[in-house]
Amino acid sequence: MRPIAEAAGRCQPACAWDMMVPAMARTYDISLDPDPVIEAYKKDVDRTLLRENLKLTVEERFLALMALQRTAEEMQRAGARSRRNRS
Amino acid sequence: MPEPDRGVTDLKAILTLLRDAGVEFILVGGLAATAHGSARLTRDVDIVYARTPENMARLVAALAPHSPYLRGAPPGLPFRWDAETIRRGLNFTLTTSLGSLDLLGEITGGGLYRDLLPESVEVTVFGVTCRCLDLPALIRVKRAAGRPRDLEVIAELEALREERDRRPE
Repeated sequence: MRPIAEAAGRCQPACAWDMMVPAMARTYDISLDPDPVIEAYKKDVDRTLLRENLKLTVEERFLALMALQRTAEEMQRAGARSRRNRS
Repeated sequence: MPEPDRGVTDLKAILTLLRDAGVEFILVGGLAATAHGSARLTRDVDIVYARTPENMARLVAALAPHSPYLRGAPPGLPFRWDAETIRRGLNFTLTTSLGSLDLLGEITGGGLYRDLLPESVEVTVFGVTCRCLDLPALIRVKRAAGRPRDLEVIAELEALREERDRRPE
């Protein structure tokens, strides 16, 4: 690979990537049959939250996400302050 | 003095920025899941971008004013944000002044931008119309990634699909 990369004036990973992509078979044989592990996790999904979300527009879902990010950030700061005060 | 909102990603600003720059991209990952109704917290924006020279140049120009840097890398690395860096790499997990942004040239189980395009849907949010991976494809790529931490995510996405199929149009 190195001589090819040098001849092309490129680094080896970039060269390898360019050669690999066209040759790569892009058929993804991924089963979407029910998976017992996922089915087990599915029992714990809170569907009431999902049903409420499905009533919202995409923009409302994004705004709710940003509000959740702000809340998580504030909780992390509060936790950090609490740890500092204890020590 | 108030601390900056490090954990809050300015979704409106990022999407507007990419749209205004004419970047060809598809929303994937957690934000795509949010678009489809997921209730999970995600902090970054994951996009699959078209790896054409023109698009990579647009991406570089759009993000350059927003201090893109490799997330988790120590400060002071000789990281240059330019088209050559993108061309030589593929996937970049970045911090920017607008929040965390993951640029993916290819995703497992989905492929490149052009492969994913037929499996994307248009969404309009904050006045920005962009493409978002559709729910069946999102489930497929999450399954293909095979990460244990995604099991709960996949379960939620599959539950969302069931709920959506049950809802009258």
